[in-house]
Amino acid sequence: MAQGFRERSFFARNPHVLIFLACLGVFTLAATLMSEAMGTGALSTSFTKILGQTLCLCLVAIAMDLVWGFCGILSLGHFAFFGLGGYMIGMWLMYERTRLIVEPSLAGAALPPTPQEISDAIAGQIFGVVGTSELPLVWSFAGSLPIQLALVVLVPGLLALVFGWLAFRSRVTGVYLSILTQAMTLALALYLFQNESGLRGNNGLSGLQNIPHAGGVSQAWISLWFLWGSALALALGYLLAAWIVSGKFGSVIRGIRDDETRVRFLGYPVEVYKLFVFTLTAVIAGIAGALYYPQAGIINPAELAPIASIYLAVWVAIGGRGRIWGAVLGAAAVSLVSNWFTGGGAPDIRLPGYTISWVNWWQVLLGLGFVLITIFAPKGLAGLVDLITQRRVPDRHGADAGPDQSALREAEEGR
Amino acid sequence: MTILMRRLLALVLVCAATMAPAQESADIQSILQENRALIEASSRRTIGPAIDALRESGLDRAPEVMRRWQERELYLREADGVFVFGEETDDGLRVIDIATGEVIGEGPDDGYEEMRPNAGIRGLIQAAMVQFRLQDENAAQRARALDAVARSPEPEHLDLLRTVILDEPDPALRARMERLERLLTVQFGQSDAERVAAIEGFRGDIAREVRAALTPVLATRRTVAPEDAPAEGNVARELEPGTDALPEAEAYQMLVSAGLAPERIDREARRAALVANIEDGEVGGIPVAELDDQEMRDRAYATLAQAGAVPPTTLEEDRADLMGGYAFRDIHIEPSAEVTDAAAATMESIELTLRLHQWLDLGLDALSLASIYFLAAIGLAITFGVMGVINMAHGEFIMLGAFTGWLVQLVVPNYTISIVVALPLAFVVAFAAGVALERLVIRHLYHRPLETLLATFGISIAIQQIVKNVFGSQAKPLTAPDWLAGSWVVNDIVSISFIRIAIFGLALVFLGLLLFILNRTRLGLEVRAVTQNPRMAASMGINPDRINMLTFGLGSGIAGIAGVAIGLFAQVTSELGQNYIVQSFMTVVVGGVGNIWGTLAGATLIGLLQKGIESANPSNTLAAQTYMILFVILFIQFRPRGIVALRGRAAEA
Repeated sequence: MAQGFRERSFFARNPHVLIFLACLGVFTLAATLMSEAMGTGALSTSFTKILGQTLCLCLVAIAMDLVWGFCGILSLGHFAFFGLGGYMIGMWLMYERTRLIVEPSLAGAALPPTPQEISDAIAGQIFGVVGTSELPLVWSFAGSLPIQLALVVLVPGLLALVFGWLAFRSRVTGVYLSILTQAMTLALALYLFQNESGLRGNNGLSGLQNIPHAGGVSQAWISLWFLWGSALALALGYLLAAWIVSGKFGSVIRGIRDDETRVRFLGYPVEVYKLFVFTLTAVIAGIAGALYYPQAGIINPAELAPIASIYLAVWVAIGGRGRIWGAVLGAAAVSLVSNWFTGGGAPDIRLPGYTISWVNWWQVLLGLGFVLITIFAPKGLAGLVDLITQRRVPDRHGADAGPDQSALREAEEGR
Repeated sequence: MTILMRRLLALVLVCAATMAPAQESADIQSILQENRALIEASSRRTIGPAIDALRESGLDRAPEVMRRWQERELYLREADGVFVFGEETDDGLRVIDIATGEVIGEGPDDGYEEMRPNAGIRGLIQAAMVQFRLQDENAAQRARALDAVARSPEPEHLDLLRTVILDEPDPALRARMERLERLLTVQFGQSDAERVAAIEGFRGDIAREVRAALTPVLATRRTVAPEDAPAEGNVARELEPGTDALPEAEAYQMLVSAGLAPERIDREARRAALVANIEDGEVGGIPVAELDDQEMRDRAYATLAQAGAVPPTTLEEDRADLMGGYAFRDIHIEPSAEVTDAAAATMESIELTLRLHQWLDLGLDALSLASIYFLAAIGLAITFGVMGVINMAHGEFIMLGAFTGWLVQLVVPNYTISIVVALPLAFVVAFAAGVALERLVIRHLYHRPLETLLATFGISIAIQQIVKNVFGSQAKPLTAPDWLAGSWVVNDIVSISFIRIAIFGLALVFLGLLLFILNRTRLGLEVRAVTQNPRMAASMGINPDRINMLTFGLGSGIAGIAGVAIGLFAQVTSELGQNYIVQSFMTVVVGGVGNIWGTLAGATLIGLLQKGIESANPSNTLAAQTYMILFVILFIQFRPRGIVALRGRAAEA
């Protein structure tokens, strides 16, 4: 039996990985063929960007699902890591683009510019809006793409590591941990709102859609590049997440979710496991953010507000937590439907005396719909799939599968 | 009668003290005539003697003349050169005799020349008139004159005050005069001993006027002199270049302005000089293309300087050496060291008292902030602390309360009555909303706390958006009644607005009320029973469903009342609750879950912290909040269960 278990390949044990990768491939191919860059124009450039952004949101939803759905940590701070990743890449984008504008103009001067003069001129351009013209310390490496790319990973990772170490060490769990992560997110957002933070205060970083050294490339093609990049990142992220949760490690973190104390008594270093998952997911979130914000074009501290992280949890819950593809489904569905409603795509409902305009009422629908899903369909949209595959699930005659009724283990493995 | 006598006597004394006795018998017209040339010239520089003559004449009519002169009602009859008063009428001028005040004619204003004192002269006249006004029979008039003196004190006022104090009948006014006299003595006293005594009398007095009087005494000017030369004047302090008080650049600039050092040539200027000296694509023998770093530029400039094309730069060390040869001092403008020492000592004691009072004021501020947090969080302390339910819609209950207050004000125009109506109504509205939420949503999720968080978040965004859709997004006015409008002012530093006192009172009332309900009533007993062990409570005949519902309603209702209170000073918008929700949760968590006293402690700690950090860095509330949250995160590390942690069995629940 054990022999046979080992011989089955990773993909055979997790058929959803191949199905997902195939779907993602088909989607990317279709979006590419229909994009403006290919000349068909069925999808506008801006919509291509929205699709690319949605893929990034799916990636961060996978991170959220790992940390919440599998490890039981309801983190209300993962969108802050997402934003931090965006800030890190945004710094390079903005610095480099400004440098490319500033340098030729300085080259026209009587003397060739010194490095100091170039840096001062760039700082003057970037920080004019907040009334300073000195390059803050945090921008020291903004001129170097490799370092900023490393920071995309390092900054969210280190923050998560330090915060997680503090929180898990003192055994803050459950809702307390949620409130604490929310406080961290709020502190970070408030810090970034200050001009003194050196990241342009509430102006944020803008013009990120203009990729330096790609002046000749049209936005249509850039949007396509990012769509491919996001799809690749999502595929890799999905593989990584599926691989992590499929092995013994996955069993341990699920055990932590279902009964932390019991796992601890079995001799597992629970804090280390939690810290690893928390930090890893923060890094994934950072990467997703770094891909998202060049497509969005602008990032400001409001993006990091605690409410964004709660929305992230909402997507995962709607999609169905404890299943990686559920998180992807939730994020994609909610953000696309939300785009459709808030973008004025949904027709208004005319009642006698009042017109329901969905731009205003969509949030109400989302909020109430979310409440209904939480109460009546704790497995989310992924539960719909269970209706089809129900027959293969062993019938427990109504008995609980574990302490947390909303997270049945056999269900989430899709058996 | 005696008052009148004394006043006359004082008048005579004033005159005797200050004027030439020969004018005593002169009448007002002749005094004006004597100074006619000056008055007609009407120049600020030369008018002095004329005003003095009037002021010192001691004549009854002098004040009237000065008043009319100042108001441009003094005329010169061109026919005989006699001064008269004139009042402009519709068809010319009403002419009045200056000695008797009788109307002596009316008609066209030909032949009368108006004296036109300019603004400067009017100011001088006004200052001179202070004397008369200080002796006015009307006490209010005298008080106003005192105000004027306090606003712009002049050296002459001192003697004046000292004389009029003696016969001031009103004790309050007299006390003010004496205080003002001491304040004036500080600045204008004749002898140093007298001034020192006055200065030392003000130790620890934090009134603004005292500081205003002491500041000019302590005024300094900055001097630079060769180090070996003896210090001149009353030295306040020696300054070392390169310190905070005297940055190096500033010190060097002082040397430059004194002509003691060559002008410093900064980078920009050197760059301009380089540009000006480009010859055949090179500067000082270095090709222009190579001048893209500072070192090469410095070398090029040095070459130019050697060739004498540009002034040489000064090196850092040279500048330091040069500055080392000079002593930089702050010299008191006041020559007497005794006076300045006393003033500095007094100022120091004042600063100390001032700081104490500022701490007191800060404490009051912190207390009022704490009571706001307490009000916002106490409802949460019940639902989260006692029941263990995370209610993210708690902020929306606060917002509903504030909107209820605003709606009531639309119907009931009287602000006092509307607040009285709004408080219970807000409770009812929020109570109903809370009960509905508990029945419809939370009841299903008691075993899934994390999902309660998310479900109530869904409710929260739905309520917020509904309110925004119905009432619009602009801020609604929720006005406090007039009797809450002012503030309670203790002194120049310590004050607190009545609204904050009222909120503090409200917080106290709720603290007492909740403690009473939870500890002394049947409902409280049942709530505690259900909290500790719902099954056991149920078997004792308590209906847990009903109790959960009532508890949740109570917590929500209190949030509604807090909403009315918060709405009185905050912007009533659909996002009102959001601003308080995270702070409220932190208050409860820091304080310790499941305990009203813990919430009180948490609110106090967070209020104190936030105000304390704000006062350390007053320009930035955002930074204060950031640091406060960081502190809370760290605090949780050391006391994960909050300040007041439950022990034993209750902690397990």
